[in-house]
Amino acid sequence: MTTNGHIEKKRLENPPSTIKFKIQRREKEGAPASWETFAIDYRRNLNVISALMEIRKNPVTVEGRQTTPPVWDMSCLEQVCGICTMVIDGKVRQSCSALIDDLLVASGSDTISLAPMSKFPNVRDLKVDRSKMFDHLKQVKAWVDLDGSYDLGPGPHVTNELAQERYALSRCMTCGCCLEACPQYGDDNYIGPQAIAQAHLFNMHPTGKANMEERLNGLLGDDGIGNCGNAQNCVQVCPMSLPLTKAIYQTNRDITVEAIFGWLKK
Amino acid sequence: MAIKFSNTFLLRKLHQITGIVPLGAFFFVHIFTNSKAMNGEASFVKAVKEIHDIPFLLFIEIFGIFLPLLFHSIYGIIISAEAKANPISYNYGRNWLYVFQRATGVFLFVFILFHLLHFRFGIVPGLTMDAVAGNAERSFAIVAGDFQITWVLIVYILGVLATAWHLGYGFFLFAVDWGIVIGEKAQKVALTACLGLSVLLAAVGVNAAFAFVRHCGLFPQALCEAPKKASNPTAPTKF
Repeated sequence: MTTNGHIEKKRLENPPSTIKFKIQRREKEGAPASWETFAIDYRRNLNVISALMEIRKNPVTVEGRQTTPPVWDMSCLEQVCGICTMVIDGKVRQSCSALIDDLLVASGSDTISLAPMSKFPNVRDLKVDRSKMFDHLKQVKAWVDLDGSYDLGPGPHVTNELAQERYALSRCMTCGCCLEACPQYGDDNYIGPQAIAQAHLFNMHPTGKANMEERLNGLLGDDGIGNCGNAQNCVQVCPMSLPLTKAIYQTNRDITVEAIFGWLKK
Repeated sequence: MAIKFSNTFLLRKLHQITGIVPLGAFFFVHIFTNSKAMNGEASFVKAVKEIHDIPFLLFIEIFGIFLPLLFHSIYGIIISAEAKANPISYNYGRNWLYVFQRATGVFLFVFILFHLLHFRFGIVPGLTMDAVAGNAERSFAIVAGDFQITWVLIVYILGVLATAWHLGYGFFLFAVDWGIVIGEKAQKVALTACLGLSVLLAAVGVNAAFAFVRHCGLFPQALCEAPKKASNPTAPTKF
């Protein structure tokens, strides 16, 4: 799904009077999951978060049973922080930018299913713990070493082309969509596109490339870049349209060149 | 400081390269040799004899084919087993290709095992119990005879189709996994070329299989040499 450019979309002509939400519930990490369905009155311009807020006001299931209000994460409400990511009607995306009308048009039903991302520890209901992604950023040293004992002055100039390419990768908001949709990611056996793209972002930086070998080593472990299966779901679901496969394949080239020609320098 | 590879990374790279060389290269040679059956029994028998005359044949067979095949297939099964395929939720073309590469791989594991037991070793009960290997004079007759059985022919055609697809898409996977093809446009061109190659390989392979049941395979018979029987040393010489 692309988010750039104007998209002429289908409008919901005959909205239902009520819409149902089938929500996956879990009391706490490790507890069994179950499903509960809630119904709210339809009104125009709802998104998944405003619908969840409506449900939270009066958490009664369609069977009339009083229950706890569903828990989810949210912050920016404009698809730049990534924290409200969840699996909506089977597909991972941000709930703030998931408009109810669009979902009803796409599914042709009056029920919307909400589940937490399956590749992260489920803290409660729709809330997950995404700290694994930050561990991966540490594993690949996704930063530029700047601290020194004296002022290093301004950094080197970069070409406009390089700046554009780096900007595209810098838009990553660590939301987890790429990892959720990846058929290889899970059980700690693959580091995933997010960390590979960030390693490449800093490998392209004129100062950051001094630490390129350390970053590549972070990607060459048993959970490393070699486990990519090229299903390319990551680049399809990325809400920020990062060129993720390009970053993975460029890193593959960096590794191939280093592996084949590196030892010939010795 | 230098880069250090984990075992998993090295095994993946070895898996990728063995699929291209020697296994992919061997498949090209294999269907080229099979296609010689288009010109009739004598032509195919001659081709089998030429293979038997290759120096260091057993050495090449073991280290060039058997061991790479054993590694590629067993490690391929391990890779397939860890896939958490999701093409229904994420219904994208390349996600289906991902699933298909693993599905054809698992099918080929079974098919190639059968193929080896059948024609290389000749120990499949119910079919010809003579191996084609080391039996050049009868090679065409053995294959043609067993291909008269419909299910055998269908299994071999499915095997050829699966191999052609697995190899063609495998070229694309190799190109991206080794960083030869990078950008989105290049990926599109490479994928089209590789899948085109798949179709071509499938066509050549299927035609070669039919060449054992019909002279000249799927082509008009006028395009091939007139059918000749293999020279039979016991038959009376004609002048």
